[in-house]
Amino acid sequence: MLKVTDLHVSVDEKEIIKGLSLTINPGEVHAIMGLNGAGKSTLANTIAGRDDYEITSGSIEFAGKDVTELEPHERVGEGMFLGFQYPVEIPGVSNLNFMRTALNGVRKYRGEDEMSAAEFMKLVRVKAADLKMSTDMLKRFVNVGFSGGEKKRNEMVQMAVLDPKLAILDETDSGLDIDALKTVADGINAQRRDDTSILLITHYQRLLDYVQPDVVHVMIDGKIVKTGGKELAVELEEKGYADVA
Amino acid sequence: MPDAIIDAYRDQLWGLIGTLPGLDGVRERALNKFASAGFPSTRHEDWRYSDIKTLRTTPFDQMAAPMQAPDLPAPLTDVAARLVFVNGRFQESLSDMGDLLQAASVRPLANHLMANAERVDELNLGSDSINLLNTALMRDGFVLSIPAGIEIDEAIEIVHVSAGADHAAAHVRHLVEMGEGASATLLERFVGDDSAYWVNSLLQARVTEGATLTHIRMQEEGPAATHTATAIVSVGAGGNYHATNISLGSNLSRFEARVRLLADEANATVDGVALAGTGESHDMLVHVDHRMPNTTSDQVFRTVADARGKTSFQGKVTVAAGAQQVNADQSFKALLLDRTAEANAKPELEIFADDVKCSHGATVGELDDKALFYLTSRGIDPATARQMLVEAFSDEAFARTGNESLADSIRARVGQWMQNHTLEGQAA
Repeated sequence: MLKVTDLHVSVDEKEIIKGLSLTINPGEVHAIMGLNGAGKSTLANTIAGRDDYEITSGSIEFAGKDVTELEPHERVGEGMFLGFQYPVEIPGVSNLNFMRTALNGVRKYRGEDEMSAAEFMKLVRVKAADLKMSTDMLKRFVNVGFSGGEKKRNEMVQMAVLDPKLAILDETDSGLDIDALKTVADGINAQRRDDTSILLITHYQRLLDYVQPDVVHVMIDGKIVKTGGKELAVELEEKGYADVA
Repeated sequence: MPDAIIDAYRDQLWGLIGTLPGLDGVRERALNKFASAGFPSTRHEDWRYSDIKTLRTTPFDQMAAPMQAPDLPAPLTDVAARLVFVNGRFQESLSDMGDLLQAASVRPLANHLMANAERVDELNLGSDSINLLNTALMRDGFVLSIPAGIEIDEAIEIVHVSAGADHAAAHVRHLVEMGEGASATLLERFVGDDSAYWVNSLLQARVTEGATLTHIRMQEEGPAATHTATAIVSVGAGGNYHATNISLGSNLSRFEARVRLLADEANATVDGVALAGTGESHDMLVHVDHRMPNTTSDQVFRTVADARGKTSFQGKVTVAAGAQQVNADQSFKALLLDRTAEANAKPELEIFADDVKCSHGATVGELDDKALFYLTSRGIDPATARQMLVEAFSDEAFARTGNESLADSIRARVGQWMQNHTLEGQAA
């Protein structure tokens, strides 16, 4: 599904990712763990195509296609999704309009017809109810006045509506209380299928209690230094990064 | 100012003698004042952002009737009546009064002055050269009078079309009288071809006790046009004046609203959106004068400028001595789509009372990169994402049109403008 090969990324001419390789197969959930500043968010944003992150060498292959040069919206069209650590507030744009424009953008990229407003409403109501989001929040401006937990739930609703092949979730668990964490975890598990992959980026092990990863990577200073099974996350929690890596 | 220009306008005035009853003396007074003041330059404070060099250096003839009937713009919303002016002259055959005449009185300026010679005194000479020239050279306009208690739900549309009018001008003068408790929406539209014409409009309105006038101006003049417009409005007790000015067209435009709040609970909201394409300049000025206690005003302006485009806003609020319990707010935000774009903001407060609440805020910025990435990271292409952000940005400024289908039409116009400009940006 995703194959990152010897990736080097610079931000403002400072190298942040220093030769990182990663392969995720269909049906797998991977977790990348690491301290602040290890380059986790840079990696997530680079895979999603953010243009102020400069790839100096290496490549990103997605579903058998080199996407290194694709624009962000094209990568979404191919089936990627990035869940933001800090979802952006957009005053003046309603959540519904935002999601419908997004879904139809993806359908257009794939050469499919636009979804009618009625069909879309049906879809989004179901997805929002699954994630305990009220219709009122769908009508409000994107993320404006949402609490931290509501913003993350909103990310999960968007993911469910777009139904990506690969979801990269950047610190989706940060700032959540336990109920919100469970709801978000349910959303992630619902997206977990034989034909999808998930990459969780996190600080802490606690999300991994609810979403069991197949593979855990430890990232330090722009590189993956250790890879193991889910027990690696527990070990990290107990011993800390310095001892494990 | 060169004598040749003053002479040219004096010649025009001679040609107009006797055309509007009782007006000759007023015209001469206005022209004499104009001759001594001349056209303002950018050294003139109120004109610092609008350089009308073309007007200062070239005399503009009166517009003649066009060679062929011009195309009329499609309606923006359901209207109660449509009044059409072509090259500054009212066209009865192109207009549709609907049922308006059963509820209100609409008359061409000439008929009004014919019937009420004494009312020539109500014509405002105006305070700057542009207004003075309008007074000296006005040929046509309408007088709209809505009787007390009459409420007209659908907009009354006034379409101004200019065509084949290189270096020619239309000086139009409209008078609006809102009877006690009356309400109406005036939708003024300005369109034209690519000739280098000048439209100089002055609208006077009197909003009496408890009346509401909603005044929407949709300025979509041709690309080489100069558009100058002034609204001079007085509002009585409990009356409301809601203006929304949309500047989309012309090479240079300037709209000035001067509103006096004359009695208890008089209210004015003056909002505006300006979208300046390459090399265009759009200037909006508001002066709300709180003459009496307990009056309120609010101004919301949003502007967008593309490469070498310029938008400007000057918002002035004055509160007279003793006018306590006044509330006045003002918000200006400008978006620059290019490094060569320009935005100017000048809020001004002059307060001579001590128990008032006045606020103002102005910001100038670029499209938010984070928001753009967020939208595109959800599969929205960059052009659509930019368009969504610009539409959202300008939306606040036409929230008070009071008519959802009209607001949608304006929104669509803004979206269309943005589409054209994003495409141009990509081609460059």
